[in-house]
Amino acid sequence: MIGLNRRTLLASALASPVVLRHALGDTPIKIGMPVALTGPGGEIGAQMRRGAEFWAKHTNAKGGLLGRPIELVIQDTGGDPAACVRKAQDVVERDGCRLLYGMTYSSEALAVVPKLAEWNAIFMSSVNGDGRLTGSSLVPNFFRANTSGPMGTRAVSLYLRPAAYKGFFAIGMDYAWGHNSIGVFKDEVQRAGKNFIGDVYSPIGTKDFSTYIAKIRQSGADACFIVMQGDDNAAFLSQAKQYRLSDKVQLLTEVVDLNSIAATGEAAVGLIGSSRYSFTFPGEANAEFVEMWKKEYKTVPDTFEGEQWQAGLVLAAGITKAGSIDADKLRPALENIEIDSIKGHVKIRACDHQGEQQGFMVKVVKKEGFDKPIPELISTFAADRVTPGCGKMTYDS
Amino acid sequence: MRMTLAVAVLLALLPLGLPPYAMTLLTEALIMGLFAMSLDLMVGYARLISFGHAAAYGLGAYTCGNILLHTDIPLPLAVPMAGVFSGFIGIGIAWVCTQATGVSFSMLTLALAQLLYAVAFKWTSVTGASDGLAGIPRRPGPFGTTYFSTKIGFYYLTMACLFGSFLFARALVRSPFGAVLRGIRENEAKTLSLGYNTRLYKIAVVAASYILGGLAGALYAPFAGFANTELLFWLLSGQVLIMVIVGGTGTLVGPILGAAFFLLVQQQLSTYTDSWALFFGVIFIAFVLFAPEGILGLARRRRSVRSH
Repeated sequence: MIGLNRRTLLASALASPVVLRHALGDTPIKIGMPVALTGPGGEIGAQMRRGAEFWAKHTNAKGGLLGRPIELVIQDTGGDPAACVRKAQDVVERDGCRLLYGMTYSSEALAVVPKLAEWNAIFMSSVNGDGRLTGSSLVPNFFRANTSGPMGTRAVSLYLRPAAYKGFFAIGMDYAWGHNSIGVFKDEVQRAGKNFIGDVYSPIGTKDFSTYIAKIRQSGADACFIVMQGDDNAAFLSQAKQYRLSDKVQLLTEVVDLNSIAATGEAAVGLIGSSRYSFTFPGEANAEFVEMWKKEYKTVPDTFEGEQWQAGLVLAAGITKAGSIDADKLRPALENIEIDSIKGHVKIRACDHQGEQQGFMVKVVKKEGFDKPIPELISTFAADRVTPGCGKMTYDS
Repeated sequence: MRMTLAVAVLLALLPLGLPPYAMTLLTEALIMGLFAMSLDLMVGYARLISFGHAAAYGLGAYTCGNILLHTDIPLPLAVPMAGVFSGFIGIGIAWVCTQATGVSFSMLTLALAQLLYAVAFKWTSVTGASDGLAGIPRRPGPFGTTYFSTKIGFYYLTMACLFGSFLFARALVRSPFGAVLRGIRENEAKTLSLGYNTRLYKIAVVAASYILGGLAGALYAPFAGFANTELLFWLLSGQVLIMVIVGGTGTLVGPILGAAFFLLVQQQLSTYTDSWALFFGVIFIAFVLFAPEGILGLARRRRSVRSH
């Protein structure tokens, strides 16, 4: 009798949920997400996390992917590239993730991508802007579903072509993305035959921008291009207001997001910039997404929540097409994949893994029915005008 | 000696049964162990309390990173080269810092390390500034072998560096040179009056410590495939000092255990809470109050109690 009991015990141990799940083939698809939840990038990271969680929940409610549920493994990097590499290695080796998501700063993504081949993992970027990720630093397992820095900058410069501004200054965050976007902007300004007066870079996490603002005022520029995000963006914009910078200089920005506008209040009104995503974008798909989002979070989705959702759609389409999350099968499936997203048509190019998509310009306005200023769409550029040539960061025309 | 051999054999056999994640942790623990041991040469034997030992680590990491990124020099050669370079800079740093003693010495080490940190932040072409050096390869060779580029091969390389350094450091502290260091630790004025140029001895031990610390940093760069300014930051200097104290100063082996303990606790606590450092702080205070001789001291105390 005792022997039988032992055997029963052993059998039930073997039939434990973990073992059973394997048998049924519904082991979760684990997606590792090293993301900045603390530090100056924490707000962006929080948006990315919400966007990813919402997508996972939505996908799981519809039966998951390949009949398997999505499971996110989220780790805080604090925005430090070294910590990001370590956390990415953790989720791959410890948690067995073969898909990566997240990574808030481009510097974090640039630090991680050389490791992808060794880990045999696919990384789908949702926010990383640095053009080099799909250029000189491209690796086969990296894909970018979002609007890149050069693409956002290109939209701004296309919008500026007919404008009367003569002299431009630029301020960016002192890391990969800031330098990359301002480099592209400088190139665009000079090719348009206008004057690029100078640029300045503030370290990530800068709180006092007074010296930078003084520099911009003294430069004599009539427009200033801003490449900032998160806390830095909010701090810069509100101090620019205190110093009445916008009275003298038209402020242009590469990323307009609700969070920075909210932190700045009325000061943001009149700001012109490209938008990677806004709830005000046209189209039924976006309207539907905004409604779903409102139901869940009682507010409209912000820039990086929308971008994260789009990255989720691309990834889901790829996994479904490949029938697998194995890098060798998923990679060819993602190449040339086309989806209809909340930002319109998106195609992941095979040549450099960049998502071709439209460019949007918005202006921050006060609108009835909203207690805070919102970005209003003022111009849209076709995908082939804003997406650079394969593997490139600058434009020929 | 028998103990050393037994540990070496155990560590050499571990990769056979460990999953990749544990291998990664173990390799990192050996690198940090080497780093902590290098600081122990200064702290434990000459009472030169450095608050800026990250300088050695960062120098090694950036040097090795640049060698591997921009030349074809194979990994097993790049690592010692970076260590030697770090030691060379260490002579300069020691020359400045040993102008002072006690707390002033500690403050100078901190100041110089922070200076290097500030330089690294601005010297984009060499350090990549805040983006760091990404994609640091493990260059194959010598003689075309790719063994050291693999996970296990790299582990053995790290292990070899740790044991080589340990044997070197032990020989150093057991030599007449080490006796003078201990003299400096106990009573520098007396050692000086005996006719020893104590400052030269101090510079020499700092240089040796920088070589080994640089070696650790040089291993870290290709281990992580990445190096940035964090490796020069005072936080790391503080952490390695904690590893040395928790492990047991003046023992060489203690700090290696301290480093492993630190990483283990960090790994375990950080899965539960973001403020793991707070809890480690409590552990550190407990060690200082109740076991000032560290982990190794505790182990030895238990053994002697049992044998009585």
